[in-house]
Amino acid sequence: MTGVELHHGSATDVGRVREVNEDAFLAEPPVFVVADGMGGHDRGDVASRIVVEQFSELAHRGYDPSRGAAVVAEALDACQQRIAAYDSEQRANGAEDFAAGTTAVVALLVEQHGQPKWLLANLGDSRVYKYNAGRLEQVSVDHSVVQELVEAGVITRDDAAVHPERHIITRALGGGGSTQADYFVLPLSAAERLVLCSDGVSGMIDDERIEAIVAGTEDPRDAADQLVAAAVAAGGQDNATAVVVDVVGLAHETPFDSEKQRASLEEKLGALP
Amino acid sequence: MSDAVNDLPTAPTWSYQPGDWFAVVGPRTTLLLPASEKARVVALWQLVDDGAPFGAVLDGLVAQGLSTLAGFALVGSDDVSTTVLLRGTGVRARLEAAAGTVEVDGAEAATWAERRVEGVTALTVTTDSAPAGTRHFAIDAGLVRVARIDRPEAGEEAGAASAQAPSVAAALDAPLESSPLDEHEPDTSAQPSPYADLAAPPPPPSSPPTLPPTAPPPPPPTLPPPPSGPPSTPPPVGPPSGIVPGFGPEEPSDEEIDDRADQSHQPDLAPDEPADDVAVVADAPESAEALTEAMPAVPDDAEQTPAPPSEPDPADPLFGADHDGNTQVGVDPGEFARQKPGIPGQPQAPSVTRPVARLLVSSGETIDVDRVVLVGRAPEARRFTATETPLLVTVPSPLQEISSTHLEVRPGSGADHGSAVVTDLGSTNGTQLVQPGLDPEDLTPGIAVQLIPGAIINLGDGVTIHVTRP
Repeated sequence: MTGVELHHGSATDVGRVREVNEDAFLAEPPVFVVADGMGGHDRGDVASRIVVEQFSELAHRGYDPSRGAAVVAEALDACQQRIAAYDSEQRANGAEDFAAGTTAVVALLVEQHGQPKWLLANLGDSRVYKYNAGRLEQVSVDHSVVQELVEAGVITRDDAAVHPERHIITRALGGGGSTQADYFVLPLSAAERLVLCSDGVSGMIDDERIEAIVAGTEDPRDAADQLVAAAVAAGGQDNATAVVVDVVGLAHETPFDSEKQRASLEEKLGALP
Repeated sequence: MSDAVNDLPTAPTWSYQPGDWFAVVGPRTTLLLPASEKARVVALWQLVDDGAPFGAVLDGLVAQGLSTLAGFALVGSDDVSTTVLLRGTGVRARLEAAAGTVEVDGAEAATWAERRVEGVTALTVTTDSAPAGTRHFAIDAGLVRVARIDRPEAGEEAGAASAQAPSVAAALDAPLESSPLDEHEPDTSAQPSPYADLAAPPPPPSSPPTLPPTAPPPPPPTLPPPPSGPPSTPPPVGPPSGIVPGFGPEEPSDEEIDDRADQSHQPDLAPDEPADDVAVVADAPESAEALTEAMPAVPDDAEQTPAPPSEPDPADPLFGADHDGNTQVGVDPGEFARQKPGIPGQPQAPSVTRPVARLLVSSGETIDVDRVVLVGRAPEARRFTATETPLLVTVPSPLQEISSTHLEVRPGSGADHGSAVVTDLGSTNGTQLVQPGLDPEDLTPGIAVQLIPGAIINLGDGVTIHVTRP
């Protein structure tokens, strides 16, 4: 992926309640992942680590950016198979009803018609936000019961934040639900900054707070640190993980008149004959 | 009709010969319409299939005027008499009753010919469509293509050779013993299985070889499971809901069910989910009672709603798993699941492999429309699946007149199949469409418009898209 320079920061914290951090993340440009394992003694940490390993391999091995969503779909399928294999291994060792599971939210660069784009994928209630022109917007749509209730008009978005079932998700890797991910494509210009986080962040601090932190930090590493710190300070009920990615320099994605502008500027400066 | 239900007099089974016309066979009425009246068939199928009375079906039939209706045949029966309405040349009926045989011709009246005959023992309606083959298929209720229909089933000239009961509808709610079919009982029961018959029609000894050397009439595209017993003992099936599977109106009916479920805002808690599954939330202080209070009550009839296909197995280990994570996998909220991605109220873009149109964008790009194409200043694609990645086309907009995701072009479905359709996605400054031979129009956001080759889409800011053949 030539011409796209990405800066990123990441942070994770076990929180104040948990003993194990079942979250896992990957920040190996151009692949970014946050996975929120679940299952407690069913070793959700293993499931989330499997996801990170699988996408880490993808980042190292490289992939065909023009294949887009198919790349991610294959990786997620591989994760699902590995988690299922791990489950059956554990069950064979006597752990009855063993079932690990994890969410996954993925951001990676792909190409369409030679143009780089963000491809985002989401399974579960980990989120990806985009920040652009001072505004934070959630791109992914949670696969959760409360989200379905909100969309059905049964409860409001405010109710959802305190709903007793807000932690029940409807899609996941390795779980009993659907493993069909949602995909999104964004032009690079649509997001100065992407935020991937587990529900330990988005469930503890609201979107306004996230926006304030993302807007108020220059360095993506600071942004990630502060997001996780704020989530822990707000109670730290769950493992909190955040990955923040900045696109540095969008010169490759040429706006219509930028060539003209640049030329005239250079001419003005006398740099060209 | 000894055990006919009071409000739904069960009609004895019909038989039909395949042809061009549509026949909608319902519990009270049977309607025949020419091949060109597909839209009316779709509109009236529900009426007829729901057992609407004769008058209501007639109202629906002529609601859009009689002049546009070249021909039809409408047959209604109650316990005493049979009423036949015919219109159009070549549409004829023959009713046999104790009082004699009555012939009716749809061509003999300016509006329609009507006869009411008591004690009808046999009824035949023929159309101007040439029958495809000589075989007769039984139908109890449903929607089929016919050339003629007979009641009771099996026309005489086919005799014992009648391809008895492929049982298209498989909804034989009227015991055959109570129908005039009794007269044919020995013949029909002699046939071991309708399916053996379909596969290799054995020439019956008593009949001339009427089977044509050409291909037999096309069997119904998909046949329901074979009846478990011999044809003379129909399975006790519920209300008449039969329709040839795969035929058009069936799918809308499914969607209607979904829509109804959507509108009722039923909570997603499947009634068979144990309550402790939802209560296993580590940090939820609420008791199970409080939890059920917070959730809307599950209607009693919830279990009658169709089970969502993707509903996970409740026996899945994860559901009973105790864990200390806040996050857990719940049920897929099947029947009130959120809208699929795309434009609400419009079907998903069908998967096509061949482009249906080519877009020449004034900024220089050429795009083949073989999937969803999103055009805008900085278009974003939201919530698609791995197999249907939309194509994003960025167009320049120095004045920012074009919205970030301005419009969508995709292969049309349904009536638009084979061509591309354009939809303005609620853009700020709108989209103008100029089609050859038509007045320029401003697109209404969210409403898809079929694109004719030669059309020009104007997004503003000097950006136009020229639509050509692929």
